[in-house]
Amino acid sequence: MKGRPTATRTMLEARASLLTGLRAFFEARHSLEVDVPAIAQAPASDPWLDSFTVNDPAGVSIGYLLTSPETYLKRLLSMHQRPMHAIGKAYRANEEGSDHAIEFTMLEWYRPCDVRPFETMVGEIQDLVESLTEFGRPEVISYRELFESTFAVNPHRTDVQALIPFAKNRLGAKAAAQLDLDSLLNLLFATEIEPHLSNHVVVDFPVIQAALARIETHEDDAVAKRAELYMAGNEIANGYYELTDPAEQSRRFAHDQARREQLNRPAIPKDEALLEALTAGLPESYGVALGVDRLLKIVTQSKTLAECMTFTGHL
Amino acid sequence: MASFSTNEFKSGLKILIDGDPCTIVENEFVKPGKGQAFSRVKIKNLKTGRVVEKTFKSGDSVEAADVIDLDMEFLYADGEFYHFMMTDGSFEQHAADSKAVGDTVKWLKEQEVYIITLFNGAPLAVTPPNHIELEVTQTDPGLKGDTAQGGSKPATLSTGAVVNVPLFIEEGEILRVDTRTGDYVSRATKK
Repeated sequence: MKGRPTATRTMLEARASLLTGLRAFFEARHSLEVDVPAIAQAPASDPWLDSFTVNDPAGVSIGYLLTSPETYLKRLLSMHQRPMHAIGKAYRANEEGSDHAIEFTMLEWYRPCDVRPFETMVGEIQDLVESLTEFGRPEVISYRELFESTFAVNPHRTDVQALIPFAKNRLGAKAAAQLDLDSLLNLLFATEIEPHLSNHVVVDFPVIQAALARIETHEDDAVAKRAELYMAGNEIANGYYELTDPAEQSRRFAHDQARREQLNRPAIPKDEALLEALTAGLPESYGVALGVDRLLKIVTQSKTLAECMTFTGHL
Repeated sequence: MASFSTNEFKSGLKILIDGDPCTIVENEFVKPGKGQAFSRVKIKNLKTGRVVEKTFKSGDSVEAADVIDLDMEFLYADGEFYHFMMTDGSFEQHAADSKAVGDTVKWLKEQEVYIITLFNGAPLAVTPPNHIELEVTQTDPGLKGDTAQGGSKPATLSTGAVVNVPLFIEEGEILRVDTRTGDYVSRATKK
């Protein structure tokens, strides 16, 4: 059976219709579809993302398969200063499971926005869900509200010691004590909160999870201006009010690099081209990445990602 | 001691948790887009039968449990132990206690082949074949004319198991029974 397409005819049609719908949504909003490379000199710096390296026939590394088209879209955004989106394959090594595949389809879009960019982004994510699915308009809720109602802890002011007791039940005392704040927050959110999010946009993440998002103060807490869409207990999309300051971007790279070292994960080259784009000037903007296969899973009410993929287990 | 990394996790894998042999029932890869990966697994404790949920950091290792399933023929019971013999021609024998035999005791028939789960070389569990053929030792006579109604009555089998059977079944007949549900399947062809 290996090598045969896994998707049914109905699934192929559902996928085609979802892609058409997404393209129409962005075309109507005057976004330009751009076709970007899948290979780049530098991969994403996120400490927990593993990129595939690409070798030439002589076995010499020429770059990385991208975990998202972010670097190319930001370079385009810097030069053309207009709304743009890309739909293509993204690659993440070591991610395989009922909701993960090493090669998947990602939609990523960027929009320059001077007035209330974060709120505009959240609204656009809500519009997308409302117009392309039958789930209705997602409810907006803050990371802090969710965390407080589940654990009675303010996630922006907590520390490792306060969270370990909650992680113990799942991991055991020894393994829980080895986690840092970022991983504790991720574990608790992914296992205790995420499964209950039916159609929600979660906003204002802990600063430690800012990645490339702007940091702002909200109700006395410093928060990362990130918005994540969850549907039927699945993480579907992740949006940032984008960082535009090259100096801050450079610091985040250094921070990610230090984390990688600490975690014994491979060092990666700094994305100089992205830094150059930020130096040349990125407009006030937001960017969102959306997992198309997962959205397809949700709209077709499928149990696994595998049945939504055109091919699966083919390698 | 052998161990398994979380990326080798799959259902059926036998691992050691707090000293107890366990089998992985379900393994789910959990990873927030930007965060660390975890494996959320459902584990069945092979000693107690209890199913618990546990989470591991991706990349962590867990000790392998020395658990092996072997086909063995039931020989006899001596009041304390139940004796089984390997079917591979080695004639190697193993004695299982009543805890290992558990509910399977009501399906134990001499010369029938069972799956014996050995933990560190000692019988931990005894699993009967899905279907087994047993003789009816006691059942009340069925009432004439009731057969079309699809009614049923209890019948005691040679192993002591009691199953519901159609009214036409008589004492001395050999029945095919599903050991997973305890349901009557059919009359067995006479041997």
